[in-house]
Amino acid sequence: MNPTAPAPLRARRRRDQRRRPVFAIAVTVVFFVLLYLPIAMVVLFSFNAQKSLTVFKGFSLRWYEAFFHDNVLLGSLGMSLEVSLVAMVGSVVLGVALALGLVRNKGRLGTYAGLIMMVPLITPEIVTGVASLLLFKGLGITLNSGTVMIAEITFSISYVTVILRSRVAALNPEVEEAAMDLGATRWQALRLVTLPALLPAILASAVLIFALVFDDFVLAYFTTGVDPQPLAVRIYSAIRFGVEPTINAVGTMMLAGSITLIGLALAIPRLFGRRGGLDLISGE
Amino acid sequence: MALRTPVRTDGPSDSRTVRRDRRPRPSAAGARIWTWLTLPGTVWMSVFFIASLLLVAAISFGTTDELGDPRFGTNLGNLKALADPAYRDVMLRSLGYALLTSVICLLIAYPVAYAVALHAGRFKNALIAAIVVPFFANYLVRMYGWSVLLSDDGPVLRMLRAVGLAGAHTKILNTGFGVIAGLVYGFVVFMIIPLYAAMERMDTSLIEAGRDLYGGPLRTFLFVTVPATRQGAGAGVVLVFLPAMGDFVSAQFMGGPNQIMIGNLIQDKFFEGQDWPLGSALTMALMAVLLIAMFGYLRRARKDEAEATR
Repeated sequence: MNPTAPAPLRARRRRDQRRRPVFAIAVTVVFFVLLYLPIAMVVLFSFNAQKSLTVFKGFSLRWYEAFFHDNVLLGSLGMSLEVSLVAMVGSVVLGVALALGLVRNKGRLGTYAGLIMMVPLITPEIVTGVASLLLFKGLGITLNSGTVMIAEITFSISYVTVILRSRVAALNPEVEEAAMDLGATRWQALRLVTLPALLPAILASAVLIFALVFDDFVLAYFTTGVDPQPLAVRIYSAIRFGVEPTINAVGTMMLAGSITLIGLALAIPRLFGRRGGLDLISGE
Repeated sequence: MALRTPVRTDGPSDSRTVRRDRRPRPSAAGARIWTWLTLPGTVWMSVFFIASLLLVAAISFGTTDELGDPRFGTNLGNLKALADPAYRDVMLRSLGYALLTSVICLLIAYPVAYAVALHAGRFKNALIAAIVVPFFANYLVRMYGWSVLLSDDGPVLRMLRAVGLAGAHTKILNTGFGVIAGLVYGFVVFMIIPLYAAMERMDTSLIEAGRDLYGGPLRTFLFVTVPATRQGAGAGVVLVFLPAMGDFVSAQFMGGPNQIMIGNLIQDKFFEGQDWPLGSALTMALMAVLLIAMFGYLRRARKDEAEATR
């Protein structure tokens, strides 16, 4: 507060600061309650001793046990992990290269690449799903985990590129040039100077993509074969055609997993001593 | 050591050339590396994304053979079928649901973003993280929890009945309101984030000025805060509208057969009905609506920007 401000103004400022927007705060409180209640319900009923999905009858781990004895679900978990891992590596490699190329490539190719990488971001997933399904069928490719991986990579490249592009643009190109003046080749400058500077953003986007792909349902649903199916697709069928409480246990574990990963993605830039993990998400 | 022997990348020029003159004109070979980096991703996206979208467009003119497999063709029947009242109504309903969802998200997100951005003090970052993190939890699981919460004998309706706000037969699930509630729950974060960013950027002395000019809290909010954050709101509307329009999970989990959306039709044509050409035509219609929305938004945003810089 400015001590030289005239007394009445100071009093007014103090009053303004104390004045809380009661309505906005009330809405926010209700919002938070409704945001977390559904998640809390899933977690709570995953520990239910009874089969009921509405009445809680004591604590038990039986649904977790049931999951770890269900070979179909375990197979789906394995497939989801495999797909997420491959999609993460593939989309990060392609996406980082694309981000570097885009920022530095002012030619016609750069313009075209910049344009087409924006399209997936405004395309609803169901459209991407339909399009991928048609393409695979058209090329005569049998649907299996490989087709899910290809579709997920296609969907994820744009995210990696968007996250990385602003970071690349923020780099000072003179540092790279200085490395080259000191005798490094383009490639060496890229590998020894640029990529290390981008490492936090690369790691954060990798974790983010892993979480997004692992949780993704729509694309997986359109591009998976019959057996095995990704975990999210199994969950969908389970919810649609009669819910077993096992689903609550699977859901709880998936929640724990994705919340850990997102926490990690937000924390990584901070671990490297940079501010603003959140702008990863708001895309700024 | 490799670093000491510079590899001349700019052609057979005189090796005595002073290194400094490399800087003003980037060499052709040096620039080529950026092309090589751009190419793999661009080719991948062109094949697996752009080409596949064009395939959807082509198949929407196609027919099915006896086995139900799609065949290319020049058949306008699928596009004509879109005007069929059965499909038209579903498309209009989807449009209505998506628009209502955007409006409700705006009404929720404004107070929340306002409270968090301007009145949360040092808890600001923690609160915004607390809003964002659940949205990375599995969409199906969240939607399932939401449908349990809003079910006929779920906690929300039981509470509303207890305080007399709901009758014995009031339902949320299997109504249009249920589907919209699902869409709002699914996508409201996409409204909060851009609004929050806009409020953070906003010059708060504007609000003080509004108060100094004897504007009440509501008037100041409507005539100062809202116009100052209009761009964030516009971005949020687009970010909510796009996924809401294409969603089919909410209508399935929260609605009944009378609340299906265009996404459900597409899913049905591809998985149950085996009419891929018609499914493709529906997909194209969906894409067309979204492109129009996007185009309108971009034009508006550009106009706003031009006005702001004038």
